[in-house]
Amino acid sequence: MYNTEIRGPLITGDKTLHQITEDICQPIDKKPRYWWYAVLFFCIVSLVYGAWALRITIGEGIGSWGLNNSVSWGWSIINFVWWIGIGHAGTAFSIFLLILEQKWRTSINRAAELMTVVAVICAVHFPILHIGRIWNGFYILPYPNDRGPLWLNFNSPLFWDVIAILTYLTASSLFWYVGMIPDLASIRDRTTSKIKKAIYGFFSLGWVGSSKDWFRFEKLGWVIGGLTAALVVSVHSIVALDFATSVLPGWHTTIFPPYFVVGAILSGFAMVLTLMIIIRKVYKFNDYITDSHLNAICKILVFISLIMGIAYSTEIFVAWYSDNEYEMFTFFHNRVTGDYNKAFWVMLISNAILPQLFWFKKIRKKLTIVFIISICINIGMWFERYVIVITSLTKDFFPSSWTDYKPTSVEIGLFAGTFGFFILCLLLFFKYLPMIAMHEVKGVLKYKLDK
Amino acid sequence: MNTAILGVYEDEELLISALRKIRDEKIEISEVFTPYPIHEVFEIMKRKTRLPYATFLFSALGAILTYLFLYWASVRSYPLIFGGKPLHSVPSFILISFVMMIFFGVLLSVIAFLIRSKLYPGKKVKIHDPRITDNVFVILIDKTPDMTSDQINLLNAIFKECGAVEILEK
Repeated sequence: MYNTEIRGPLITGDKTLHQITEDICQPIDKKPRYWWYAVLFFCIVSLVYGAWALRITIGEGIGSWGLNNSVSWGWSIINFVWWIGIGHAGTAFSIFLLILEQKWRTSINRAAELMTVVAVICAVHFPILHIGRIWNGFYILPYPNDRGPLWLNFNSPLFWDVIAILTYLTASSLFWYVGMIPDLASIRDRTTSKIKKAIYGFFSLGWVGSSKDWFRFEKLGWVIGGLTAALVVSVHSIVALDFATSVLPGWHTTIFPPYFVVGAILSGFAMVLTLMIIIRKVYKFNDYITDSHLNAICKILVFISLIMGIAYSTEIFVAWYSDNEYEMFTFFHNRVTGDYNKAFWVMLISNAILPQLFWFKKIRKKLTIVFIISICINIGMWFERYVIVITSLTKDFFPSSWTDYKPTSVEIGLFAGTFGFFILCLLLFFKYLPMIAMHEVKGVLKYKLDK
Repeated sequence: MNTAILGVYEDEELLISALRKIRDEKIEISEVFTPYPIHEVFEIMKRKTRLPYATFLFSALGAILTYLFLYWASVRSYPLIFGGKPLHSVPSFILISFVMMIFFGVLLSVIAFLIRSKLYPGKKVKIHDPRITDNVFVILIDKTPDMTSDQINLLNAIFKECGAVEILEK
């Protein structure tokens, strides 16, 4: 078990309890600075582009996308899997570390959980939109109907996806919101504005901080955490089964579920790192998000990226070892050396090789390099999904049906729109909600060896 | 008429030492308000909860009901063979039941927590001290009719001795 002897003080700067509240609530009290409005403008531009793409997709149908008979899954599934992967940040980070009693999660968990909720909402857009007639979207749920009643195909991973993601969205947003109740009460009690008092008072559900409530609150955190931890593994396994239950070379592998889960955790942690460096820099939270925190995340990334490296090499090895000509073709001629080799090497270098630089303490300490590598991992993880989806579909068993795939501006617009939505939610979070879990940070302020 | 005595503390350790002393004097502590959860306080207040059992029950219920529904829908209501798979496809059903177990467990536990702690949107609460959610710890002791003035004096003495920053009577 880690203790503070290894980790160092979790919060630096000799803070008092009152100072913690002041520091963390200061962005809520102050007017946002010019960069906030600049980013907001960028978000609105992307959202407008996204709204246009949405209008075309719904009004004209998914014929406006670049899909064809061979490539029936394109950017929408890539972006779906990518967002879901990022959505593993909060649960993997916050809940795994909660269950393992890693106290250093306290400064980071709130933002990571928010990322989860927003990323999953972004992800959900794509499967709903790809239906084409979204007003019939409720068909994906089992409801009593007058067709027999004819139920759904419960053996289909696509149906498992629906319930897994709905559950994941519910569980992670509840975990995030319930964890925020005491902090909302803090804002309610310190604010002088009547409107703020009313709004934060409404959402803090009448929290007063009695020992009875705290005790149940802590138990509830454990209980939801314990249950949701299983979701981290199950959600992305199910997403992987969408691919793995097919018979396409490059998809039809048993390694897919663990491979996807690890990939999701890698991209989730990378996004947490990106976001935390930004928050720390912009809001000067150096005492809360200390070097030691970022250092720890970097070390975890080394480990996860090693597993990714093993997964990539296992895939290639098995393709060679199976001596199956289709597998050989997909992996060696199509991915490693073929038309899509650039995407393949971007994926390999940024996910399996670049994070290995974190072995060196000097690199872990240079935040600019850490930031760049974290962005590279995010991009690399997007290309991983691109490689998986596109290489297998463009060149399948029949050379006569080989084709190319390029996204149209509508597909790019949908992605840009979700991206704008993601950043917009982050901006609102920065401005209106406590970015760091105040009550948890206060709890670990005096975390000493004897505890 | 004052009905309660409040001891206000600014330090966790002082609070705990005061709580221990009050407990040893066998004076009933009505409630302790803190800005963050403190395990010693839970111990002294002898807090108990059946929430984990409730969660177990909700999860089990969710899993069983889901499995029964899937069985009924696929085998009884509309038996339709597709892909040569059996009507009663155990692995798929287990997977769906597992996910729904988590869904029911989490959702109903949160609802149970909110109901049991009587937390709801827009609740009007009596806030003993607005600093509780910031940096102070408050011990609340209700004055019961059979409380002697000696006990009240003793209580004041304990509060003072253990470094209370304020002692209020409300």
